[in-house]
Amino acid sequence: MMYYYFGLAMRSLKRNLVLTALMIAAIGVGIGASMTTLTLFRAMATDPIPQKSRQLFTLQIGNWPPNKVTVATGDEEHLQQQISYPDAVALMNAHEGRRQSAMYHGGRTVIPANSDLKPFEASTRAAYTDFFRMFDVPFVYGEPWPASDDANHSDVVVLSRELNDKLFGGANSVGKTVDLDGRGFRVVGVAARWNPVPRFFDLNTDKYGKTEQMFIPFTTAIDEQMEMWGNFNCDGDVGTGGWEGRIHSECVWVQYWVELPAAADVARYRSFLTNYAIEQRRSGRFHWQALTRLRNVREWLAYNHVVSDEARILVLVSFSFLFVCLLNAMGLMLAKIMGRSGDIAVRRALGASRGAVFMQCLTETAVVGLAGGLLGLGLTSLGLFGLRALLSDEISRLSSLDAVDITIAVVLAVVATTLAGLYPTWRATRIQPAWQLKAQ
Amino acid sequence: MLKMTHLSKAYRTEVVETYALRDFSIDVREGDFVAVTGPSGSGKTTFLTIAGLLEEFTGGEYLLDGVNVRGLDDNRRSRLRNEKIGFIFQAFNLIPDLNVEDNVDVPLRYRGFNGAERQRRIRDALGRVGLSARSRHYPSELSGGQQQRVAIARALAGSPRLLLADEPTGNLDTQMARGVMELLEELHRDGATIVMVTHDPELAVRAQREVHIVDGQVVDLAPPPRLVTGGGAAASAATGT
Amino acid sequence: MDVYPILAAMRRNKVGAILIAAQIAVTLAILCNALFLIEQRIALSKRPTGADEADVFVIDNGWVGQPTDLEARIDGDLAALRSLPGVVDAYVTNSYPLSDGGSTEGVGTDLDPNRALTLAALYFAGPQGIPTLGLKLIAGRNFTPSEVVSMNDYSVPKAPVVIITRQLADKLYPQGDALGKPMSMQFTKGMSTIVGIVDRLQVPWVSANGWGSKFNDNSVLVPFKLVWHGGHYVVRARPGQLAAMMRAGEDKLFAISRARVIDQVRSLPQARADIYRDDRGLAVILGVVCTALLTVTSFGIVGLTSYWVAQRRKQIGIRRALGATRNGVVRYFQTENLLIATTGAIVGGGLAIALNLWMVMSFEMPRLQFGYVIAGALVVVVLGQAAVFWPALRAASVPPALATRAA
Repeated sequence: MMYYYFGLAMRSLKRNLVLTALMIAAIGVGIGASMTTLTLFRAMATDPIPQKSRQLFTLQIGNWPPNKVTVATGDEEHLQQQISYPDAVALMNAHEGRRQSAMYHGGRTVIPANSDLKPFEASTRAAYTDFFRMFDVPFVYGEPWPASDDANHSDVVVLSRELNDKLFGGANSVGKTVDLDGRGFRVVGVAARWNPVPRFFDLNTDKYGKTEQMFIPFTTAIDEQMEMWGNFNCDGDVGTGGWEGRIHSECVWVQYWVELPAAADVARYRSFLTNYAIEQRRSGRFHWQALTRLRNVREWLAYNHVVSDEARILVLVSFSFLFVCLLNAMGLMLAKIMGRSGDIAVRRALGASRGAVFMQCLTETAVVGLAGGLLGLGLTSLGLFGLRALLSDEISRLSSLDAVDITIAVVLAVVATTLAGLYPTWRATRIQPAWQLKAQ
Repeated sequence: MLKMTHLSKAYRTEVVETYALRDFSIDVREGDFVAVTGPSGSGKTTFLTIAGLLEEFTGGEYLLDGVNVRGLDDNRRSRLRNEKIGFIFQAFNLIPDLNVEDNVDVPLRYRGFNGAERQRRIRDALGRVGLSARSRHYPSELSGGQQQRVAIARALAGSPRLLLADEPTGNLDTQMARGVMELLEELHRDGATIVMVTHDPELAVRAQREVHIVDGQVVDLAPPPRLVTGGGAAASAATGT
Repeated sequence: MDVYPILAAMRRNKVGAILIAAQIAVTLAILCNALFLIEQRIALSKRPTGADEADVFVIDNGWVGQPTDLEARIDGDLAALRSLPGVVDAYVTNSYPLSDGGSTEGVGTDLDPNRALTLAALYFAGPQGIPTLGLKLIAGRNFTPSEVVSMNDYSVPKAPVVIITRQLADKLYPQGDALGKPMSMQFTKGMSTIVGIVDRLQVPWVSANGWGSKFNDNSVLVPFKLVWHGGHYVVRARPGQLAAMMRAGEDKLFAISRARVIDQVRSLPQARADIYRDDRGLAVILGVVCTALLTVTSFGIVGLTSYWVAQRRKQIGIRRALGATRNGVVRYFQTENLLIATTGAIVGGGLAIALNLWMVMSFEMPRLQFGYVIAGALVVVVLGQAAVFWPALRAASVPPALATRAA
């Protein structure tokens, strides 16, 4: 019977091509607009590390006096997004979590052995070895450096696949040496493509940007005086005495992540942090009750408003637009179905039940929805193409259509159209079979 | 087959209540060919819509093929209509989107027959009305008489117990009308039960029996002119008051 | 035209009329807010920096290794750039307008940390800063060469003199007598004398609600020369020579030394396009959505009205037979649409204001000006009239003879 209804739907749609085209176009345009923005929104709102987002925590420490004009972040608790180097070192030494890493973003100049290539700056992340296992970074060759390399401040490097392609033509480079600012670094591993979006572990610059091109031990980077490329915020004293003075100041520039697998670990770490702050006050470093905060990946992303207002506004606007399109389609469907009330009355007289008429009309609206959904998908690709042309590269990276998006588009179109078609369909079932006779 | 006793149908507006049928009784037996006549507005169309289960009535009893239809829900009524009644309309009421074959197919689909059964019935029905060669034509490609014959085929295809015809020749010229009447008479001879509403006395006399309605009531029962050998069927009656 | 028969007919077509009115209402709500957003974003992306941007470009230079003679090298680079025939002037700095990166100071009039008045961006510039950027000095004087301090340590030196923007001057000294007065820098714990005031100089950050939005024109020029392994050379080219000098400048620097990395060479107009790309993009997207919205709504009106016309052909024929003129029929449909559209516009105006209030609460957006609602309402009503015109003409062409034929 479904097949029969489908055949009827096709005939009926063919009979009034203009009206059908208008309906499909209205739904297609609405789906296209809303899916374009929803794709962007979903990419922004996505969980970058779903398997672990509730076990990975970052922390904040109120190491600045709470009464200054340096309410720089606008945070009501006057907390900074990053922590200071002294705090980072103290926490690393305490080793309270299952895994932990202090880290920061900087750059090194790569001087390629191949003299055809000019020296170039490569973005670099300084981290501890736990970074890789904590964040499940996949490796193509080799593996993370051993903890002893952190302790020994070794000159070792993990290359990204991209950089390994550039320097070694994609070959296994483990054991080879790379010249960074005139010093030889031994390659211990090559990381596979790993670009969590948003880049949750460092939201200070380029939230949706790429992961760094290589990784070196944090301790080595400090020895090498690797310049900070991210935010470097101070509440006053920048410190005197060059690099040493600067890193030992209360300026904040280090990101810190810790893996806490169970709720008990989290509770324990919380009290550890509180005690740490109390200890700092007792020792005379803080003259105030310093706040501490521990947030997991999801909480951290929400706290940082990772989904931009623009994306929210666009989603709002385009879903309202879809609503208008559906009202539109609903009006046209009503017109179409009521225009056929004669046929429907005859069918009723010939024994079609209300249910049969209902299914027939609903099949027709579902077919329109499906066609609209397919058109909408085409328009979504076009829309995303347009977004890529209009928006910055950072946001453009978010605009690719995946299987989930495609499913959402088609389901949304069919469900929305069918819902919009319910009223006209209901009206069709109210058509009296006697109408046709009375009209004589 | 079709038995109405003291049936009434009232249309109610805010101010007045008007009766389209009042204390209406009729009994149609299997194999009858009854003509229902009456002036415009007498209630003959109302009778037909109620007989065809297209509308509900307000009082009295109606037995269709032994089934008391009073208070049946819409689905049951649709089912009964589909199985027991074949409609022939004045304006043919073919569905313009569907070709001849598919038009005849409509009630069969709702009946739930399988494909082979539907094919067989469509072939038979079109054969009986003499339109086998036109099965792929669309209604707009047929003459009025041919369209009405398709409508008759559609009414016959489900082997209904009762054929209800509403001015079946009203939209046709004389020659075509004659053809359609001959077809109805032939169906009757083959055993079909037919109730035909018409205002045309010439057509009415061709039926076995005539029921005359005035102001929603049966006023006159013409004796069956031809049914002499019909036995008990002759006693079929409905008494007006 | 008598409205009563139209209303009576509409009662029988309630749902259709409600659907059109609802479409018009939501369309209006989106339209007003979107136009308002577009206007804001375009205004944002056109805000002046105070610099004469057209002929200015920036070279991002970084030194490879750890050269010890940085100051000599930087002086050499700047001298070489200035010697190019198409170059007017050049200087080295930590940051420049539209760059989206720089440093901030808490400034005030005395050193009490709780009495800092506001935040301000710090731009390093020698005497060449003002002419290179093309800033307008409205009071006081430029820096002199002898005032320039080299900044070659991580600690920021104290600046004896500063040049500030008019807006900052008014903030620090509301009486308008800032020139010659002291200004404190909270982070570096230094006091400086205000020796000059420029008309305007935007901070390097430009987002509507983000960092810098609360102190957008509070900038301080300090007489520092950045002696660092990375820095920006800001260069002014002679008119018409920008592209040529961008190439020549980079080549010249590599000719002096190859032990460097030049990350990018970018003109200020390009920097403006880059930094406002998402704002302009949003404006364009909203514009496209608005156009699509109006198109869909008008086609919806055309579709539904056409259906009504088709449904009422017989009725129209009878009216025509009874003496209605063609114009009368057209007017009938236009009046009908006007009634529906006006209802929709009134509801939509309320919806637009509600939507805006919600956005004000959620997104730090300004309040919608009422003018947008009025303008939007006019647009949708006119659109409705235009959309109904074609079906109305079709209705007018129904022949009166139709009345004599059966339906």
